[in-house]
Amino acid sequence: MTLAHDRTSDFLEGGRRERRQIVTPEGVSLSVELADYGERLVAFALDLFVWFVLMLVIVIAIVSAIGVSGGSLIAISIALFIAFMVRNLYFVTFELAWRGATPGKRMVGLRVIDRAGGPLQPSAVVARNLTREIETFVPLSVLLTAGKTASGGVDWSNLGIAAWMLLFAALPFINRDRMRGGDMLAGTLVISLPKRVLLGDLVERKAKFVFTHAQLRAYGAFELQVLEELLRRQVTPDAMRLLTEVCEKICKKIEWTAPIAPADIMPFLREFYTAERAFLEHEQLFGKARADKHAKPGEEAAR
Amino acid sequence: MSMPATDAATAAATATTTGRPEIVLKSSEFRKGRAEGWLELERLVTRVERQGIRRLSLDELQRLPILYRAALSSLSVARTIVLDRNLLLYLETLSTRAFLAVYGPRANPINGLRAFFGQELPAAVRSARWHILIAAITLLLGAVVGFMLTVQDETWFNAFVPSGLSGGRGPTSTRADLYNREIFAPWPGLVESFGIFAGVLFNHNTLVGIMTFGLGMGIGIPTIMLTAYQGLPIGAFVALHYNRDLTIDFLGWLSIHGVTELGGLILFAAGGLVIAEKILFPGRYSRLENLAMHGRLAGQMAVGAVIMLFAAAFLEGGFRQLVQSTPLRFVIGFGVGALWVAYFTLAGRRQAR
Repeated sequence: MTLAHDRTSDFLEGGRRERRQIVTPEGVSLSVELADYGERLVAFALDLFVWFVLMLVIVIAIVSAIGVSGGSLIAISIALFIAFMVRNLYFVTFELAWRGATPGKRMVGLRVIDRAGGPLQPSAVVARNLTREIETFVPLSVLLTAGKTASGGVDWSNLGIAAWMLLFAALPFINRDRMRGGDMLAGTLVISLPKRVLLGDLVERKAKFVFTHAQLRAYGAFELQVLEELLRRQVTPDAMRLLTEVCEKICKKIEWTAPIAPADIMPFLREFYTAERAFLEHEQLFGKARADKHAKPGEEAAR
Repeated sequence: MSMPATDAATAAATATTTGRPEIVLKSSEFRKGRAEGWLELERLVTRVERQGIRRLSLDELQRLPILYRAALSSLSVARTIVLDRNLLLYLETLSTRAFLAVYGPRANPINGLRAFFGQELPAAVRSARWHILIAAITLLLGAVVGFMLTVQDETWFNAFVPSGLSGGRGPTSTRADLYNREIFAPWPGLVESFGIFAGVLFNHNTLVGIMTFGLGMGIGIPTIMLTAYQGLPIGAFVALHYNRDLTIDFLGWLSIHGVTELGGLILFAAGGLVIAEKILFPGRYSRLENLAMHGRLAGQMAVGAVIMLFAAAFLEGGFRQLVQSTPLRFVIGFGVGALWVAYFTLAGRRQAR
């Protein structure tokens, strides 16, 4: 049914998520949604911000302990070292303790998982995060600081190396699973895990309208799920207008001639949804699943 | 959050209408009996995500896998009989979240790091001994070539040694220059030492070392070339001092941090070679699968290399000019080197079996 999901998302939200299948140890395949580039960037930026604030506090503490006169070099080198330790421990600790999520990832709703569906190993977490150092931070710090030589000129060879290395940061854009180098090495995948709420069933039991099988045969799973999404939307004047339009279209398609009062539009649609779902689920159970209105019964939609 | 109340209200799944047989909505019946379990699972999973699995009571811990398996089986059934989009998406997400809660990383961070440094890192290094040998030989060859050329004609020195690395040393340096200002230069004091330490973090060598690792993805040839290229300035330096009869003192001066630093560089290059090998010879797997299976080894070696470079920076900044005797420098340099070798060859053998 993933196909119908995606088509519905495509239709209503103008985009679908890339999906990958992982197989749990119980042998059930779960379809997970790949994280978007934007989401990952935001999560990384949030983590960097947390790290930056942490560092600011630590550096201020060091400076106040040593005193500025004690020599800025000492402060700088200690700060550099602590910065290295803190950011690596930060990512590793959180991804281990929070089951594959750092604060940034949690805020955005991302998780790191094992690509094959097994448990996320600590070594994978350590490997994917310490490679981040090599992938991102070293070239970045070179670009920012060591581009200048002691004499004040620009060290082109270092800059070139850093730029070259930053190409590795572009790895997620050139592979299907959006893995960065660390993900490839560790065998991990970053997925988006939105919170979804179980909503009430839309089934309407007090049936007033009766539909024939011939009428219900007009639609398939895709149309049913679009109708479900529309019915679940908040009732605003705009949504009402859309529903009225949908109602007219359905009436035309199934040749429903009796007029429907404006107050009856919602009940009519809900009952039509109920009847349609009952019909399609029944057909599906007997091997005659219908993907959309163009599909012949029992035929999967053209992929 | 979720609405069990609404659920109950609409749960009556039969659509009784005059003149029609009763339609039973299997999906609604299916949902009626199971929604409680899903919601309980969702509550547990949310708590695990927020507070960790340790906060669950014993009873809840026992419930979690049972509810998880029930949700998985619900999902399998739902895929065949349910057309309710919200329900399908909910079950899919809930199962994934529960899966991650049940099969999340077991170790706490301390144990994870301990396992990493206690067993996995040394094991990874041991498993790549041939790659390490190749990398070491390549580096050595580079150094020999650098030495041979520079010994005959010192103008090669400027070609091999980047200006940032030479620090004013070159064919024009006299023996006294090198002896007093480099090898036995007085200890510059704490502040300067730390400056050296900080400088090494962005050292040219470190960058090139990291590149040899990253370039492993380019099937290894760039790794070999860069490793040899890194050997050139070392050979050139040795030749410069050889011509001024300072070989032993220079090697002592170099060894105090050089043994560790070169070890780190070799480890980087060996990691790059591991990556290259896994990409070049994937065996019966796809290249990416093979990389995922063994790439962790390479990543672990790179981590080891970074740590060795840090240690080298610490030795260089802290000890090199503090210790003013050549024999003592050799002892420290190779003593630390022996410690590295002992760590990588011996650590974690017992648990790993």
